[in-house]
Amino acid sequence: MNDSHTRKFQKELNVGLVALVLLAVLERSSEDLYGYEIAKRLQRANSGEALFKEGTVYPVLRALCANGFLTSRVKPSSAGPPRRYYRITRDGRALLAQWSGIWAQTRDFVDRVIRGGES
Amino acid sequence: MSGSTPRSIDEYLAALRAALADEDPALVQDALYDAEEYLRAEVAANPGMPEADVLERVAGRYGRPDEIAAAYRDTEVKVTRAFQPPASIRPASHSPLKQFLSVYSDPRAYMSLFFMFLSLITGIVYFTFAVTGISLSIGLAILIIGLPVFLAFIAITRAISLAEGRLLEAVSGERMPRRPVHPGPNVGLWERIVATVQDTPTWTTLVYLVMMLPLGTIYFVAATTAFSLGVSLLLLPIAGIAQRLDWWLPWGDERLLFSPRWLDTPAGWVFCVVFGAFLLTSLLHVARMVVGLHARVAKGLLVT
Repeated sequence: MNDSHTRKFQKELNVGLVALVLLAVLERSSEDLYGYEIAKRLQRANSGEALFKEGTVYPVLRALCANGFLTSRVKPSSAGPPRRYYRITRDGRALLAQWSGIWAQTRDFVDRVIRGGES
Repeated sequence: MSGSTPRSIDEYLAALRAALADEDPALVQDALYDAEEYLRAEVAANPGMPEADVLERVAGRYGRPDEIAAAYRDTEVKVTRAFQPPASIRPASHSPLKQFLSVYSDPRAYMSLFFMFLSLITGIVYFTFAVTGISLSIGLAILIIGLPVFLAFIAITRAISLAEGRLLEAVSGERMPRRPVHPGPNVGLWERIVATVQDTPTWTTLVYLVMMLPLGTIYFVAATTAFSLGVSLLLLPIAGIAQRLDWWLPWGDERLLFSPRWLDTPAGWVFCVVFGAFLLTSLLHVARMVVGLHARVAKGLLVT
């Protein structure tokens, strides 16, 4: 219907979900990842289409890191400035478990209401 | 907002810097660093494709400079608020005594005091490093080895600047850069030296490093004096009572003599405990205030 409403809805939805998705990607990964790699993994997970602007990944990564849910280290790169590699911490895993639970509940609830199947 | 798509990474970064013009300089430095990391990785992933084409493709996926600027602005506010522990949202108490004592539950007050003690050591290290580096760079300037020495000196200065910023943010809460200074366009050795010399933050950072010696000395002396005086006052009644009961005599049969004598009376003991506690609590308040002010001045000197 209205394109700007749809975009706004998508943006509002993404605010909290980006952090959840980032934690999940880093938890699955056996190695440390840098911002660009994470953005590309998310793009592949959605069959090549990014659900949100890839640039929004970086400020969330920094905020997660500043709050102790991720650790990071810098490695030099031949392509440009040194890259910052992120790894999930124990606190980050605990947060992911908590948030995944909330997400599953929310998703099921919204699905039930949309389908009108609540008894 | 921005009409045309930037044609090069430098143009993109310039547009992003313009879009973030009113923001905290520390946030701008981080945003530029992140954007460059992504854009350079994208260019490297598409060898043979002109930079302008890569940027045009990226604009849709990474986001236009104004979109990215908005994302940094929003995330900084929203995510920080979401992670804020609920304790800090507790309304401030109205009782002046409670407000005065509330400093004991503020970790920043203790960290500020620690920073004041530490600043003598960091002050000496920074001063020595800055003076040695400047002297070596000037002294060796006529030899070819002077150039790499100068560049290495500046690189270490920037690393120290970032580390000091991180320390100050942890201690005072003042937002500082989480990424090093943007190295600028990839150009030759000579251009890089000229750019470094013309870069104001290079010199203000050196001013900060030199300034830390006198400041660190003052912080250390003030904190040590107030802290030892406060602790002595708190311990004085214990010494007085112990002497009277013959539990403990510091120098054999020699008794400690307090001056003025009235300090060693019950009323004096009460005064010592009250005044000592007041002094230590005030020290925490002052430390928090001084380091907060220091962090703001440091930000002006260390951040672009």
